[in-house]
Amino acid sequence: MTSRSFILIIGMAAVTFLPRFLPLLFLSKKEISPSFSRWMTYIPVSVFAALVASDVFFWEGSFSLQPDENIKLLPSIIVLFIALKTKSLLWSMLTGIIAITLLSLMV
Amino acid sequence: MGNTAILKGLKAGLPIMASYTALGLACGIVLFDAGFSVMSIFLMSLLVYAGAAQFLAGSMVVLGASVPSIILMVFFLNLRHILMAASISKHVKNKSVGFLALFGHTLSDESFGINYSNFQKDNWTVNDAIVTNFFNYSVWAVSTALGGVIGSQFIINTQIMNYALIAMFICMMVMQFVSKTYIITAVISIVLSVFFTLLLKHNIALVIATLLASMIGYYIEVNSKRTGVRSND
Repeated sequence: MTSRSFILIIGMAAVTFLPRFLPLLFLSKKEISPSFSRWMTYIPVSVFAALVASDVFFWEGSFSLQPDENIKLLPSIIVLFIALKTKSLLWSMLTGIIAITLLSLMV
Repeated sequence: MGNTAILKGLKAGLPIMASYTALGLACGIVLFDAGFSVMSIFLMSLLVYAGAAQFLAGSMVVLGASVPSIILMVFFLNLRHILMAASISKHVKNKSVGFLALFGHTLSDESFGINYSNFQKDNWTVNDAIVTNFFNYSVWAVSTALGGVIGSQFIINTQIMNYALIAMFICMMVMQFVSKTYIITAVISIVLSVFFTLLLKHNIALVIATLLASMIGYYIEVNSKRTGVRSND
């Protein structure tokens, strides 16, 4: 294991553990401000949308909305539909992998 | 803790364990391709135990992202756990710090989901919860390491495996759609993310998009409540 990957793992461990542990430790005694916790509820949806967009709409480093060039576009629409229907991570991933495999064979 | 408690926890965790096996294999393959050894994949799963974050780390390493920018993005990705830990904290009162640390460490999205709904029932105890969490945790660690072994033995199209992460994020985004405001927030975040990525050509674009979109979402919520009050007058 390189020291770079070790540092990465330790850093990731810290920013994963603390958000899960600190509220358990403190919130049984104290409440966070309501407006702060309301704002926090918008962070997950924003993070996921930003991550999806920064990947799906780009092909080989440039912005692309052409489904025959950027083969991630059509599978993403299918996955979006499956996710809305099933709310299942497993089904979304399976459908996505199958869709992009088929498309990469066709293009 | 008797055998019945362990069986009860195991039974509750089974559906999660099944999906963790598949997700873990995919995650291990992606991480191995990103240059992590099987041992470091196993260590990462034991110390980090956050599937989405681990997938993200793999794909960001491939893109050549710096260690601090990966850690920052993982931090934002994990902020949602503050809400989960906060809302489940009332069920783990009067426990030792060590127990809380163990409970927090093994609190994944799925573990939270199953425990939160089970705590609404009378017969679900904190011990059952930690048994379930521990089973899920073990399955995750083993299956990601196994994914690393598979990745080392076979040539797998990682462009396709990386798409698994996108599919996962699309689904996790959709699971957040509890009201119209969250859907609007998602659309805003998508537009901002593309805009800032084109403008800055750096991963920090995601952090800016996340912060701005979440603030706009909250602003819309506050304002719609105000107008709601006014229309009631």
